[in-house]
Amino acid sequence: MGRIRSWLDERLDVSPLVSGFLDRKVPGNIGWFQTLGSATLFLLIVQIVTGIALSMSYVPSPDHAYDSILYIDQTPFGGAVRGIHHWSAGLLVLLIGLHTLRVFVWGAHRYPRELTWVVGAGLFFVVLGFAFTGYLLPWDQKAYWATVVGTNIAGSAPIVGGAMLELLRGGQQLGAVTLARFYGIHVWVLPAILFLLVGIHMFAVIRQGIAASPRRKPLVDPEPGLSRREAYEREYAAEKQAGKPFWAALMKDAIVAAVLLAVVGVLAVSQGAPLDPPANPNSTDYVPRPEWYFLDMFQLLWYFTGSLEPLLIFLIFTFGATVFILVPFIDRGRARHPRQRPVAMGLTAVVVAGIVGLTWLGVAGTPAGVVVIPPTEGMTQPQLDGLSVFNDQKCATCHEIHGLGGHAGPGLSRAGFRWSPEDIRTQIVTPKNDEMPAYDGLTSKQLDDLVAFLSSLK
Amino acid sequence: MTDQQAPDGSDLSRRRFIVRTMVVLGGAIAALLAIPVVGFATAPGWQAKTTPKLLSTTVAPTLRSNDWTSIGRVVDFEVGVPKYLEVERNIVDGWVTEIAPIGIQVVRSTDTDVVVFDPHCTHLGCPLAWSTGAEAFVCPCHGGSFKSTGEVVSGPPPRPMLRYETRTEGGEVLIGTFIADAV
Repeated sequence: MGRIRSWLDERLDVSPLVSGFLDRKVPGNIGWFQTLGSATLFLLIVQIVTGIALSMSYVPSPDHAYDSILYIDQTPFGGAVRGIHHWSAGLLVLLIGLHTLRVFVWGAHRYPRELTWVVGAGLFFVVLGFAFTGYLLPWDQKAYWATVVGTNIAGSAPIVGGAMLELLRGGQQLGAVTLARFYGIHVWVLPAILFLLVGIHMFAVIRQGIAASPRRKPLVDPEPGLSRREAYEREYAAEKQAGKPFWAALMKDAIVAAVLLAVVGVLAVSQGAPLDPPANPNSTDYVPRPEWYFLDMFQLLWYFTGSLEPLLIFLIFTFGATVFILVPFIDRGRARHPRQRPVAMGLTAVVVAGIVGLTWLGVAGTPAGVVVIPPTEGMTQPQLDGLSVFNDQKCATCHEIHGLGGHAGPGLSRAGFRWSPEDIRTQIVTPKNDEMPAYDGLTSKQLDDLVAFLSSLK
Repeated sequence: MTDQQAPDGSDLSRRRFIVRTMVVLGGAIAALLAIPVVGFATAPGWQAKTTPKLLSTTVAPTLRSNDWTSIGRVVDFEVGVPKYLEVERNIVDGWVTEIAPIGIQVVRSTDTDVVVFDPHCTHLGCPLAWSTGAEAFVCPCHGGSFKSTGEVVSGPPPRPMLRYETRTEGGEVLIGTFIADAV
C-alpha cells in the first residue's frame, strides 16, 4: 500500500493538497448541526450514481417510459436502485431545507459568506427542479397529473405565463415532446448547473473556512477603528486558534452519511419506489396530488380565489424566491447569535410554521385519491347511510371533518352543534352563498340521511 | 500605453492584451455557440402560440386535434344531461402522429344545439367529473365546480370551461379545435 501510494504521489504530487485540506484548522465549536451540508452533498452523490444506473434502462418516450420502469423494477437490484433514487430524493429536499435553516439561524450567511448563500439558494431551486422534472419520467398517473398541474401553475404567470408553459411542455400539449424535454433537463441541464454551483459553493466553503457557531460574546474583544474585514479576520483567526483540525470534525459527517444511507436503503428495500397505473390523459376520476414537498404550495391554492388569484400566487412565489436569494443583503449587521436577532428569528419561525402547517394539512387532510370519511362507533343506520351519501357525493373534497378533507367550504366537524337540521338541509339544497353548488339532485331519502349524519356531528 | 515591467521582466501590457483578447475571443465563441443551442432549446417559449395576458388564465389542454371529428347525432344526447365520451381524433405531438381518444363532455342545450366541453378544470387542469347530486362538474383538486353551461359555480377557477367549436351537418355533430377566446 505504502509503495503504491508513494508511486502515485510522485506522479500526481497531491499530498500537499490533501494535507492542506485535512489539517487546516476549523473553529472548535462546530458539531452535529454542521453535518447537514455534507449530508446534502452525500445525497446528491447518491442521486447522481443511482440516476446514472437508471438511465441505462429508461426510455423517455410515452410509448416505452412506463414499461421501461416496470422492466427496471423486475431486473435484479433495479427496484432497489429506483427505490433509493426515489427515497433519497425526498430526503434530499428535506435536508437541503434543514441545511438552509441551520445556516440562517447560525447567521452563517453573513460577511464574508454572502455569495455562498446566494449560490446555495440557487442549488435549492436546482434540487426542486430535479424533483419536478424527475417526477414526470415514470409516465404514470401521478407523474402525468402532477405535471399538468405544475405546468399550468407556470402558465398562470402574468404576461409570460403562456410562453413559460409552452417552454416547459415544448408546445401547448403535454406529451412526447414534454417527456423528452423533461428527461434532457433532468439528466443534462440541471446536472450541469448543479456541478457548477456545487463547485463554487464548495470552493467558497473551503476558502472561507466553516463559519464558527455564533457566540454572544466574541472570543476576542472588538478593537475600535478596525474595518469590517479586519474585525472579521481577527475574530476568525481567534476561532481557528482555539479550533481543531478539519479531519477531527469528519467522523460526525461519516456517521450521518451512514445513517442516511441506512434509512434510504431500508425504505428502498421495504417500500420500493411507488408506481401508479400508466398515465391516462382521459381519466375522469383521478385526484392529482403532488409529492409531499410540493404539498405546501398545492395546499396554499385553497385559500385564493377569483380573477386575481394567478397574479397573487405569482407575486407570492416571486417575492418569496427573491427574498430567499437576497437574504444576506437583507439580514445584515454584525450580531450573529439568534438571541440577538429576534426579528429574523420570529420571521423564520413564522415561515417554518407555515411550511410545516400547510404540508401537514395537505398530508393529513387530503390523502391520495378521493377523500373518504370513515364511520365512527355508535352511528345509527340513517347516519351511516348519510355518511355514504356524503362520501358518494365527495363532499370531503371541500369540507373537512375531524382533520380529513379540503378547505374550500366550512369544516363540518361540529355541524350539528353549529346549525339546526333545517339550516343544514336548506344549505345543501339551496345554498345561501354562491360558493357551493346546490345539491338539489338528491332523493329525499338521501337528503334525510345526509342531514341526520351531519346533525350528529357535535 | 507605457511599458510596464513585471518583477520577472516580462511585459505587463502585452500580458494584459493577451488575457483580454482571450476573454473577448472566448466570450464571442461562447455567444456564437449559444445562439443556436439556446435558440433551439427555448424555441417553444418564444414561438408560443398562447396570447400573452396580464391576468393570465392559461390552462392549456394536454391533448389537441385540429380536424373536424364526428361525435354522434344530436338526437343521441338528452337535453340538459351531460354525457362523457371519448372520441378518436388525429393528434400531432411533436414527431408522433396518432389516432388517439380524447375525452369530452357533451351537453345538448336545446333541441338543436349541442355544446362540447373539455372536461378539465380551468384552474389547474385537474379532471372534472359530472356530479348528479350537485348537477355540476366538480373538480377534486381545490373544490372548483361548473354548471352544465360551463359557467363557474364555486372555487378558484378563473373562467368558464373550455369549449370546442361545433358544427352540425344533417343532424350529425362535429367538433373542431378549441374556441379561440378560450385558449
